[in-house]
Amino acid sequence: MIELVNLRKEYDDVLAVDDLTLTIPQGEIFGLIGPNGAGKTTTIRMACGLLAPTMGQARVAGVDVAQEPERAQQNIGYLSDFFAVYEDLKVWEYLDYFAHAYKMPEPEIPARITEVIARVNLEAKREAMIRGLSRGMKQRLGIARAIIHRPKVMLLDEPASGLDPKARLELRHLLRSLRDQGATILISSHILTELEGFCTSIGIMEKGRMVRHGSIEEVTAAATSTRLVKLTWAGDSLAAVGEKLKSDPRASDVSLSGGAGTFRFSGAEEELAPVLAGLVAANVRLTSFGEVKQTVEELYMKLSTHEVM
Amino acid sequence: MTRFWTNPEFVRHRRAELRPVRAITVGAVVIAMCVLLGMACWSYERNILESAMRGLETYGTQAWKDRVEHLQVQFAHNAWLLYYRWLIGLQGVALTFWTLFSCAQSVSGERDRKTWDFQRTTRLSSVEIHVGKILGEPVLVYFAVLCAAPITLIAGLAGGLSFGTVISVFVFLAMTSLFLGLGGMWLSTLLESRTRGVGLIGALALYGLTMGMYGMKGGGLPGLAAMSPLAGFMDLLGHSPDSALQRFPAVLFGREVPWLLMNILLCGSFSAWLALMLIRNLKRDYPEIRPLSRWQAVGCAAFLNFLIYALLSPAKPHDFLGGMARQGWFPDSKTVALFAVAMNGLILFLMGLATLTPQERLKVWRRKRATGESAVFANDGLPWPWLGISAVVAYALMIWGLLAWDHSLPLDMGTLQGAAIRLLLVAVFVTRDVLFLQWCLLTRLRQPVVKGFLFLCLYYGAAAVLTGLAAVSGEEAARWMLALLTPVQVFDPNIKGMAFPVATYGGLALQTGIIGVLLTAISGRLQRPMRTGAAA
Repeated sequence: MIELVNLRKEYDDVLAVDDLTLTIPQGEIFGLIGPNGAGKTTTIRMACGLLAPTMGQARVAGVDVAQEPERAQQNIGYLSDFFAVYEDLKVWEYLDYFAHAYKMPEPEIPARITEVIARVNLEAKREAMIRGLSRGMKQRLGIARAIIHRPKVMLLDEPASGLDPKARLELRHLLRSLRDQGATILISSHILTELEGFCTSIGIMEKGRMVRHGSIEEVTAAATSTRLVKLTWAGDSLAAVGEKLKSDPRASDVSLSGGAGTFRFSGAEEELAPVLAGLVAANVRLTSFGEVKQTVEELYMKLSTHEVM
Repeated sequence: MTRFWTNPEFVRHRRAELRPVRAITVGAVVIAMCVLLGMACWSYERNILESAMRGLETYGTQAWKDRVEHLQVQFAHNAWLLYYRWLIGLQGVALTFWTLFSCAQSVSGERDRKTWDFQRTTRLSSVEIHVGKILGEPVLVYFAVLCAAPITLIAGLAGGLSFGTVISVFVFLAMTSLFLGLGGMWLSTLLESRTRGVGLIGALALYGLTMGMYGMKGGGLPGLAAMSPLAGFMDLLGHSPDSALQRFPAVLFGREVPWLLMNILLCGSFSAWLALMLIRNLKRDYPEIRPLSRWQAVGCAAFLNFLIYALLSPAKPHDFLGGMARQGWFPDSKTVALFAVAMNGLILFLMGLATLTPQERLKVWRRKRATGESAVFANDGLPWPWLGISAVVAYALMIWGLLAWDHSLPLDMGTLQGAAIRLLLVAVFVTRDVLFLQWCLLTRLRQPVVKGFLFLCLYYGAAAVLTGLAAVSGEEAARWMLALLTPVQVFDPNIKGMAFPVATYGGLALQTGIIGVLLTAISGRLQRPMRTGAAA
């Protein structure tokens, strides 16, 4: 759905994006992670046609954004970290303007405006002047603008910066529901917790290059060769647990104290089952046993500090 | 392409600016002002009549009686005409001023409000945005003029003007406003949000320049005065207090043409160039704005050259101290050639500015050139080959123009040969200056073109000082200094044919060498390695 082929952007003598090649299939929520200045905004601006690439190609829904920008825009919903709106319009007029600007069929527009206003919970403000809305409401209106034309692809550049926690949660719900409807979403952020449990795949950018990308599982697997397993137990089983784990050649870095501990396991996920069974057989009264999933933040820290490169 | 009244950008402005309460208020204010103005005009004419009647009572002469009778008969006609002139004058000022200034903030204002990117990501084409803005930004003043239009029409007709004249004045106003609006919008496109103040100053300058064109009525290109609303009003309303207007009619290829036609031709053609620049650039990111493609720039330079010969009015012979002399800018073909060379200096420099290539594009061109994918005459290449083409086109047009005017301004071969050398010299100096600006664009200077231009001013100032110092040791030394460092000698009317002093050719050689140095410096800049990151 989104294809970036050898995309490159030079600003004077600075290489902002360096031959970036990336394909994001339909229905994915792709998190673009990286520090400020990594090239995330430049990549998104090139993908939505705001910026002409120095070289390479950006295709959205099969349309070359540079060659046929207006056709490509039909499929793109763009949202950036600021939610600038026309203050001298009413809420419905603002959405009507963009619906017409995206050349939606005229008969569909009124119903779509009503639908989108309901979706961002602004029904009560439909006839209100935008200048009278609170910041949060204006942000919701910005989101409504981005989805008014039912885009197949959403390009979101730090969309949650400046949003309060409730609005962030609403934005997540909205994006999930868009994904469920088949939309493909490319979202950039340097606040990694924002993307946690939300993206289906991620890409880590640094100095204009894609350091690593793929599904979260793939990136995790590439980032680490061992799994961190945490377990807790009831009663005095410390010695039994220690003995059992030390006898397993796949376990390492065993750290136990009181009724809890962690160890690193080099086997596959399904190979953890016999370990669990062995502990139970050794009369250890386990209360919990499981792999500790790495957060996006931990993954990023590992990859960006070149631990696995 | 949507119809203009359903153009989303126009509809947005109409909705924002013309809410019912505001529209009714504006309409009421306009009508109230019209009524007050009408009463004032009626009162003014009444005062004239009453003072004439008092004169009649006091003196009782036939002359006073005739005057009173004339004023009584003409009272309604005079009052309506005065009323019409005030109405149309005020509308003219409001329309031109408001259109220019609202359009001059249209794009920079959107950039300032951070709404521009969202508009650029819609499916609206550049043409649609452009049409929407030119019609939408000043929609309030259009509405005010529309409210006053029926009253103006009635006043004009009652004042004795023909229907055609009244409509012509509106057309004249519309054309001038269109030109000013497009000029303002182009200015706004060139400015980032933080330089909006500069935009307003630029808009004021454009307004002053357009109004000031009226001064051209007495010059060698009198038709240019038609760009100013003043010239058109004077002619169309049959009220020309300035006899110069009759002495210098608007001429096109030596034939007198109505001011309105000239206004339509000039405002229309300049508006078309502005519209082309806007349509090319409206949806581009700010650093990627380039007014015209290379061929379009050559076309624009050719058009401006064409205008010189189309609009020029040769000096008219008149009796001077018993002999015949010519009065005006262009007494002979040599003066026309000198003028054309001087104008081409300006045209080539402006064209050079319009064709400066951003560093990014120039690097890509250089890479492609290394692999044979791109040519010297590519759109993203250096500007100098295109300046050369423009100079050749300008010379060809000069030959055509001077031959066309041969019947009034006899041409000799020496003029053409001399003009060739002069144009070559000007083209070399301009190429040097433009390449210097191109080099500045590749440095890390902030506002490189502006700073480069200031450096050039500094250079010419220094050249003047050095010439002054050289003058201490003799006139010949000063002449050499001037010829080596500046193109001033080009405009020496005493030089016949190709008999330029050696210093002039020395200057030509020196500047060609400097161009070589600049090209090497540009190439060196383009070979620097790239840095990564921290660009956004």
